[in-house]
This record gives sequence, C-alpha cells and structure tokens, in this order.
Amino acid sequence: MKAFSEFMVLEPRTIEEAIAAKTEVSGSRYIAGGTDLIANLRRGLDDPTLLIDVRHISRLQSMDFTAAGLTIGSAIVLAELARDKRLRRRYPALSAAAAAVAAPAHREAATVGGNLSLDTRCLYYNESAWWREANGFCLKHRGVTCHIAPGGTRCWAAYSGDLAPALLVYRAEVEIADESGTRRVPLSELFEDDGAAHLRLAPGGLVVSVRLPHDPWPAAYAKVRLRSAIDFPLVGVAVAMRVKNKRVRDLRVALTGVASRPVLVHDTNTFVGSVLSTAALDRLCDLVQKQISPMRTTAATPFYRRRVAAVIVRRLVSELAG
Amino acid sequence: MNSVTFILNGRQRTDLVADDLLLIDFLRDVLGLKGTKQGCDGGECGACTVLIDNRPRLACLTRAREISGRRLETIESLERDGKLSPLQEAFHRLLGTQCGFCTPGMIMSAEALLRESPNPSEAEIRTALSGNICRCTGYAKIIESVQAAVQR
Amino acid sequence: MSGAAGRRTPLLDGIEKVTGRARYTADLATPDALVAAILRSPFPHAKIISIDVSAARALPGVRAVITGDDCATPYGVLPIAMNEFPLARERIRYRGEPLAAVAATDAKTAAQALRLIELRVEEIPAYYDAADARQKNAVLLHEDKPGNIEREVHQEFGDVETGFASADLVLERTYRYAEVNQAHLELNATLAEYDAERDRLTLWSSTQVPYYLHLAVARCLQLEKHQVHVIKPQVGGGFGARTEALNFEIICALLARAASGKVLLRLSREETFLTHRGRPQTEVKLKLGMRSDGRITACACEVVQRGGAYAGYGIVTILYAGALLHAIYDIPSIKYDGYRVYANLPPCGAMRGHGSVDVRHAFESLVDELAGELGLDPFAVRRANLLFAPATTPNGLRVESYGLSECLDRVEAASAWRQRRGRLGPGRGLGMACSHYVSGAAKPVHWTGEPHAVVNLRLDFDGGVTLLTGAAEIGQGSSTVMAQLAANELEIPLERIRVFAGDSMLTPKDNGSYSSRVTVMVGNATLDAARRLREKLQAALPVPNSSFDEKVAALLATEGAVTVSGSFTCPPEFQGGAHRGGAVGSTMSFSYAAQVVEVAVDVDTGIVTVEKVWVAHDCGFAINPLAVEGQVQGSISMGMGQALSEQTLHADGLPMHASMLAYGVPTIVETPPIEVHIVESLDPNGPLGAKEAGEGSLASFPPALTNAIADAIGFRAGELPVTPDRILDALTKQRRNREQIAVAQAR
Repeated sequence: MKAFSEFMVLEPRTIEEAIAAKTEVSGSRYIAGGTDLIANLRRGLDDPTLLIDVRHISRLQSMDFTAAGLTIGSAIVLAELARDKRLRRRYPALSAAAAAVAAPAHREAATVGGNLSLDTRCLYYNESAWWREANGFCLKHRGVTCHIAPGGTRCWAAYSGDLAPALLVYRAEVEIADESGTRRVPLSELFEDDGAAHLRLAPGGLVVSVRLPHDPWPAAYAKVRLRSAIDFPLVGVAVAMRVKNKRVRDLRVALTGVASRPVLVHDTNTFVGSVLSTAALDRLCDLVQKQISPMRTTAATPFYRRRVAAVIVRRLVSELAG
Repeated sequence: MNSVTFILNGRQRTDLVADDLLLIDFLRDVLGLKGTKQGCDGGECGACTVLIDNRPRLACLTRAREISGRRLETIESLERDGKLSPLQEAFHRLLGTQCGFCTPGMIMSAEALLRESPNPSEAEIRTALSGNICRCTGYAKIIESVQAAVQR
Repeated sequence: MSGAAGRRTPLLDGIEKVTGRARYTADLATPDALVAAILRSPFPHAKIISIDVSAARALPGVRAVITGDDCATPYGVLPIAMNEFPLARERIRYRGEPLAAVAATDAKTAAQALRLIELRVEEIPAYYDAADARQKNAVLLHEDKPGNIEREVHQEFGDVETGFASADLVLERTYRYAEVNQAHLELNATLAEYDAERDRLTLWSSTQVPYYLHLAVARCLQLEKHQVHVIKPQVGGGFGARTEALNFEIICALLARAASGKVLLRLSREETFLTHRGRPQTEVKLKLGMRSDGRITACACEVVQRGGAYAGYGIVTILYAGALLHAIYDIPSIKYDGYRVYANLPPCGAMRGHGSVDVRHAFESLVDELAGELGLDPFAVRRANLLFAPATTPNGLRVESYGLSECLDRVEAASAWRQRRGRLGPGRGLGMACSHYVSGAAKPVHWTGEPHAVVNLRLDFDGGVTLLTGAAEIGQGSSTVMAQLAANELEIPLERIRVFAGDSMLTPKDNGSYSSRVTVMVGNATLDAARRLREKLQAALPVPNSSFDEKVAALLATEGAVTVSGSFTCPPEFQGGAHRGGAVGSTMSFSYAAQVVEVAVDVDTGIVTVEKVWVAHDCGFAINPLAVEGQVQGSISMGMGQALSEQTLHADGLPMHASMLAYGVPTIVETPPIEVHIVESLDPNGPLGAKEAGEGSLASFPPALTNAIADAIGFRAGELPVTPDRILDALTKQRRNREQIAVAQAR
C-alpha cells in the first residue's frame, strides 16, 4: 500500500460547513476529483491532515443554462462538460478545453473547480520526495531556491489548467465563497503570477461556480503537447473573436502553460476595426509573445513554447475569421 | 474508519474503510481482487482503470470512500457463467494482449466506451483508450479487438 | 504434422490475462509478507564514510535492515565484468543507487525506518556524459578502468582505405542518440521467502532470466544453488530491462534471509526507471563510401556509448554495435572503433535491438543521404548491396537464409512507393530503411559446455503432454510457440499440450528470454524432445494407424510415466569469428526487415504525425503468425517512441524522466496503423525454418521515419528523438540559409 500522510476526510453538505472546516483546521485542503491532489500527495508534495470533499455540496453540482448565461458548479466533472451538446454548440472553446484534459478516466473525476485551481507544475517540483530532497527542495515546497531562476525570489512553476484560458476569453466570472460571504469577480482576479501561491483566495476561500455570459463570442481552444493525450499543455490557447465586414469587432486571447497563471492578453482591443491581414496577424503574435515568458519548467524549451503559442494564436484567429 | 455500502461486481457489500485508503489498495490488498494493476506512481498509465457507475475511473487516484452508494466494476466482473465478455474474447483471440499488464485497464476503458457508444468509430476508440499505455502491442491489435467485439 | 505450427494461435495464457486472473509478482503477496523499501543515494558520486542503521533497526515493526556490509560479493551478468553490489559498498556511483534496505510489518513503518538511517559520505566529482568522464584527470569510477573506459573495440575487416578510394562519393556524419528506457508496464517486484530451518530461499520475481537470477542470488547470499528456488510468475514485459539479475531482486533475497521470513519488494515507477538497463546515450561517427551505381565500398564507424556506473552487459553492447554493421548488406570493408564509457548514472543494459538500433539509424540515414546525392532511389541502393545466402561475413558471421530482398519488394509494393513518393504534397513524405537482428546469441554467457536449451516432455496416465521449459514467457508468446511445435511434431491437437515454464525446481535450466534466442534455441530443443517422444511412442506400438492414445497406453504399460529430454546446441561454426569479441553477433540465423513510413510534418509546430507504416519482416517460418505480427507492431511502436518522444534526461544525475508522464511512451492516439507483411525465408537452422521476430524490425523504424521527414521537409535528423522543437529549429536554420543564399545571389 502507498505510504502517504494519514488524512481524514470530511464531506460537508453546505458551503458554510466547508469554509468553517477549512478555516478551523490548519493543514486542511479542499478536494474534489483528486486527480491533481492525490497524485501530488502520492509524491509527498503536501501532507494535509484533513481533506474536505466539496462534491456533496449541491450548489457546486449544478449546471444551469438561463437567459442570463450559463452557470457551472465547480464540482461538475470535465467529462460532463465535454459530453454536453448545448455547451459544445454555444461555448465550443470551453467544451474543447474540457475534452482535451488528460485522458477519459481523469475527466470523469476531475472537476471545473479542480482544473481552475490546478497546482502549478515544474520539472523540479513534480518529483518524488527522495528526488526533491536530493535536489535541496525548491522554493515552491520546503526549499528556498527556485531551480528555474536560482538568483530570484519567486517561484516560476507554470500554470497548466486547460479551462481557464477558454473561460477567460468568454469573459467568465467566478463565484468565490469565504468567511466574508460570496462574491463574483472576473476570473482573471482568481489568479496571481506566483508559482508558489497562484490562487488569490482568502483563508477558507472556495470556488463555487463559474458564470459565462449568455452571448458568447465565437471562440476556439487548442493546445500543443508532446503526446496527443494524457500530457499537460506545453501551451494552450483560447481565442474569442467577432468579425464584421472582415473587420475585427472584438478579440480576446488567453493562454495557459506559459506563466504561473493563465494569461489574458491585454491590448487586443487595439485590433478592433482592423482587417486581419498578414501584417495584423504578425502584430497580434508579437503582442502575445511580449506578454508571455515561459520558463524552463518543462522538457520542451521556453523558446519553443513561445513560438508555438504564436502559431496557435494565428491559427485560431484565422479559423475564427472564417 | 467509515462504513461504505456499494455494489461490487454485481453484489452489494458493506466495508469499513479508512479515509486515506486508496481504491486500488482496497481492491488489491483488502478485497484480494488483484486484476486491477498499478503501473505508475499515480494517474499516468491507466492500468488501474475500473468502472464506477459505468464510467472509467483510475483506482489509484480514487479514495475507497468515494464508492459509497455506487456501482463498482473491476475486470473480474466481465466473465459471466464461464463465458468471456465480447471484449475479453476478442482481446484473447486477436492478441489484443501480450504481457497482459495493461489489459485489465484497457478492457475496462473499452467496456466503458461500448456501454456509452455501442458502435464507435476508430477515432472514438482511440480517444476512449488514450489514457491506457500499452508497451507491447503498438495498439494495432487492441483496436482490432475492440472493433471485433463491436461486431458481436 | 498436425498443422499446429503456422496457425494464428491465441496465447495459451491469454484467458488469464483478459480476465484479470493472471498473477504477476506483486499479486502474490500474502498478508504475512513483510514490506520492503530501499534507501537510495541522493549523491551522484561519493565515498561512504558510514551508514548508521541503529535507529532504524530499533523502530518497532522493523524486522530487518541491511546495508552493503551484508553482501561483499559483487555480481554482474557477464562473468568477466562483475563489479556491482546489490547495496553500495565504500563507493556510491549514481544518484538512486541502493544504500540500505528495510523489511517491516507495513509500508509506513518501512518508510519511517528509511528516514532514520544516517548517511555520512565524502562527495567526489561526478560525470554525466562520456566526454567528461574521458577527460584526462577525471576521477575513475572503477580503479581498474583507466580513462573510465569499460571496453575499447578496434576492428577492421577488409581494406577500408582502398574501399573509400574506389567510391564515387564519400560522406561522413555524426549522429547523437538520447538514452532510452524500456518502460515495461509492470513495475519491478520481487517476493522472497526464506525458510530458516532448512536454509532455503524461494524467489518469485519479474525477470526474463530466472536462471541468471538464480546464479546471482546464490552467489551473493553464498548459498549452494540447490538451496535456491526461483519461480517466474507472469511478467509484464521486459524488452531487455530484466535480462540480468537486478539489485532489487538480490536485496529482497537478502532481506528475507535477514528477517527469516517472507518479504515483498515493489519498486515505484521512479525506482523502476532508476534501475534502468536501457539503451545508452550514444554518439555515432559514420563514414560511408558509395559508387555511382549504389554499391557501398567501405564503412568506417566510431561509436561512443555512455554506459552508466556499472558494467552490466556493456561489453556486449559495444561489441554488438560493431558486429551488426555486418550481415545485413554485402560490404567489402568495415572498420569499427567502439568506446564504452562509465558515467555517474544508472547502468544501461540490453534493450530491445541490443546494440544495433542507434548504429542502424546512422547507417540507414547516411545511405539515404548518399542515394539522394547520387540521384539513386533508396530501394535501388539497398538492392545494389544485398547479400546472397549462404554467406559468411568478413567478421565470421553465417547467413544461411536472407529474405531482405523479398522484404523490400513487399513494402515497396504495399506502400505504392514508386507511384506516391514525391507526390504527397508539402510537409508530407515517405521514407524507408532496413534492419536485421540475431536469433539468439550463439555463444552463451556462461561457457559451461551444457546445451543452449533443454526441454522436457512429460507423459503420464492422463494422456496429456506436459512441456517443461525454463524459457521465460514474458508476454511474447514463447510458451504458445513451444506448444505449437510439440503438437505439430506429435501430430496431436494443441489443446493436448500443457506448458509449465519457469520454475527451477521442475523445469530444465534455460538461459532466458533475451537476444531473441527462444524461438530458435528452445524451439529446436522442443522439436528434439517431441521427436524423441514420438519415436518412443512409435517403438512402443509399431502398428500402422494406431492412435496416439493407443500408443500412449502401450508406452506407459512398459515404462510407466515417461519424461523425455530434448536439447539444442549451437554448432561451433556458428559461434562467431576468431577475433577478440568475435562471439558477439554470432547466431544461428538473422531476421531481416524493411519498412516504409509515411509522415506529415506540421511545419509551424514541428509536430510529426506518422500516418502509416508498412513493414515486412523475414522471420523464417512464422510458427505463430498472429504473434509475429504482434511482435513486429510492438517493435515499431517502441521504435517510434525512441524516434519521436522518449528520452531520459538528468539534472546533475537526477532523473527528470522517471514517470510515465514525463517519459512519453506513445499513446494509442499518435500510434499509426502498422501493416505487417510476413516474409518466410526458411532457415536451415531454425525449428521448421523459424527465425526471430521480436526485435529485428525495431531498428529500421527510426531511420525510415527520419528519412521520411527528410523527404517531407528536407531536414535530415542527426539526433534522436526528433522532438518538435528540434524540427522547428531545423526549419528556421533552413530558412536562414535560403535567405542568405538568396541575398548572396542577389549581389
């Protein structure tokens, strides 16, 4: 049997119960499908005493299409997203992102909330306890040095969730509950560009749901990875765009795998009104590349990831331009 | 310890399980069902795939407590009345198995697929089995085996 | 002949595998088994000052703690190169090397005990690549190996200088190959039970070589061989990772004796990677001369292999790399220089296609390039250099059957090469290559004079024939092939044969499943045993048209239960040339393969998609065509992994690849359809003409793939794996070159 830290599991029925447990018990963690957390626990990346399984909270389990938009509970599993025909029709980028995560058996367990709050990843972090100790640990966990940039003071582990970029280009909001109550904020505000602490959540903070607008722009998601399944994205790109008379009316671009948080590219509105000429696409790719700085967190080089990020942006934009 | 009541391979049972007991260890070390295999250090090879309520799940990333109230099926459940299931028969007859270590997980993933989509395309078969690593066959005869099981 | 041979036959143990009833080593533990764990070195190279296990030993629940002090006898698969200890003594030579081990009542206690062990060392400089290890003032990993060179090989057959002088074109290139690992799916595991009253040890282990394991355990525990009993349960693949006794197996045995009980040792995937025994990182410098008609006139090849910290099969690997330049084409002169180098990394081993794969890539790539320069078709160039069997190569290898020509014809036609090559459109291409492999090493590792293989057939009152063999069934289907051969010879249905394999108490000694030796050697022994049994049955009842059952009854009436023994020995003339190292590469027969690979290259992302593979494999006679196809398809898939996605990577000796996620074995999604054509050039030495099927087609995949990439985008990959970033870098370079040329021309 696997020897990992002993933990208890609580299965709260309400958000309040969950938050109370999380704030009261130090060393407690929320868990849903566990595809990320249990894998990490097996490698000794954390040793919680209490896991709070949030999937028994009914509000986290609902998916509602309403006139106001779509609300997806954070405990909905990715396989359900990928199977949902309405979602595929109206929010294809989100559907594609969900279908592209890991492999089918992971998607049956992995949840929306879990994928959004996916732990950041790094060559020097996702290793066994023996390995990390032999390497002097790292800034993200038990150590003081980031082996990616040893001179610096921050952790550069990369965020690799697939859903976030799709949700970002759909202008999704996320509902967060904590001791002070619940609030809805733009999804980008959930994240911090710090590999060691990439979620901006108060103690006990819990992602309850994500909400997508009722009038999504046409959008698409694609990712690059070494193998066509299982692997995390080296780069994932979502683009949402509306075009009128061959001119850009709206454009949003977001990426995953290239920083410690999902990156929503800013200043894409400068393309509004432009015709998508080759020169304009070149400028857009430049804009994207200026705003990302993948580090040596994967076996594929940062140079490669930056380069294909632009390639995928160009492809998706061209595709959406028709 | 928590009491879990669930249906294991068609039979209801109740067990006491520790919170931190993984399903793969519960199956193999507590219940003695050794057909479910471990081929990696967690979530990377698919050898431990089982069905929970007809859906494929990785026993190595699932806590035993999660099966409470659910229907759990392992490779041991497929042979009925001395007869191999169509997938088992095809994997055997067409050499969809060589060393056999990925086979239980592979067949359970294929079983989940056929329950949801009785007549899958080759692309659907590839997607459904994309989390199951096989090092022996080059997958060619695995695809043939699933297709042959569909024919039956 | 009952026709059992030559028929598509499902595996005898397939039903166990599809029902989950098959039992692998880790499945055999009973609740009374202690749980073992290994303390591994965090240091790459160090002198051990002390290992204090007193606190670990005192922990309740701990039954045994052992260190290097508990075994002072070195082991190693080659009797001439035993330099490894199951637990490091005095010196640590790689990160992950076992230092101590515990057996405890449960996994948590075992893990806790490891944390209580105190290690004091003095670190010394470590080397992670061959060039560093070969530096003049480098610290020696092994004092008796100057320059950190385990073995140097220098061979020249024919006159290379004259050969190059007579060529119309001579090209020289350097190729680099990443180290790769078998990544067999079953994690390494051993169960050991020590019977203290009788001083006997029983071992169940995930091995391809139960006999070698038996020898190593008896040696390291200083037991008589009869005190050891080795059982090979189901084994979840091997591909050469398990063709020698491995440290964890001996450690488990030592623990069982120290604890006077039963101990289960299961390695994690990371530990399984650390145990390694994969294909070494290799640099190949190759020079070939070719005439304008495609004839190869000379070959000069220098190979440097980074073998890791211990000898293992290293000497054999560096010799194979040179020996297998021969026996595929008719090449008048071949010069070979090989260097096997020690480095502070886990030891390499005898991975599928042992020694031949990287060199074959270099050779087939350069031949393709030469053909292109000379305006020749790649198929035509291979045809210009075919051997004619029977032949003896300049290095003394015998080729009695040779189906390469037919392999070429088959894949050329099946792929519609002539119609389609050059017409596939941008970013798409076709490439081809050939390869070969031995059907078992003709000279055994231990020169005891015993036969290479022995098989017993047992017949008793129930009328069933029990075939007893030490050959390790590891999923390749060896037991099924032996049953088919016996049934065929005895003219009885396959169902009448039962195979019992891999138990040292009952089955005749067998060297094991490696170097593709089983079909030919054990197959011949099986046929010999079956013939003897048939003759006995015939003699017992020499009545025409008497049935098998009548004959059995007659034989049992005179002799009672009968066991006959058949054997096979490779004749000396097949055991290689007289030169030093000449035994390596020697074999009773060679398999041959040719393949065509079709690719699509995404020039923006560098991602290569293999669209289809057509492969023809000459396996002599296909005893089980179903299994031959399966072996060939599996070889292609493993070749594809090495060519495109797999590699070991280390950060100062720490593995960055040691998980199924990081290592990158291909999934079903990117694996192409693989069309297998079986070519049967019956070999006079093979059982019913059979040769090997499990390795030979691997080595032609990587070059066929990179030749296809060259056809698609004009880039010749000199480094494997061809990852997307390498493709993009190459395309960028190409574009810059073109631009520079354009600028120069504009001036």
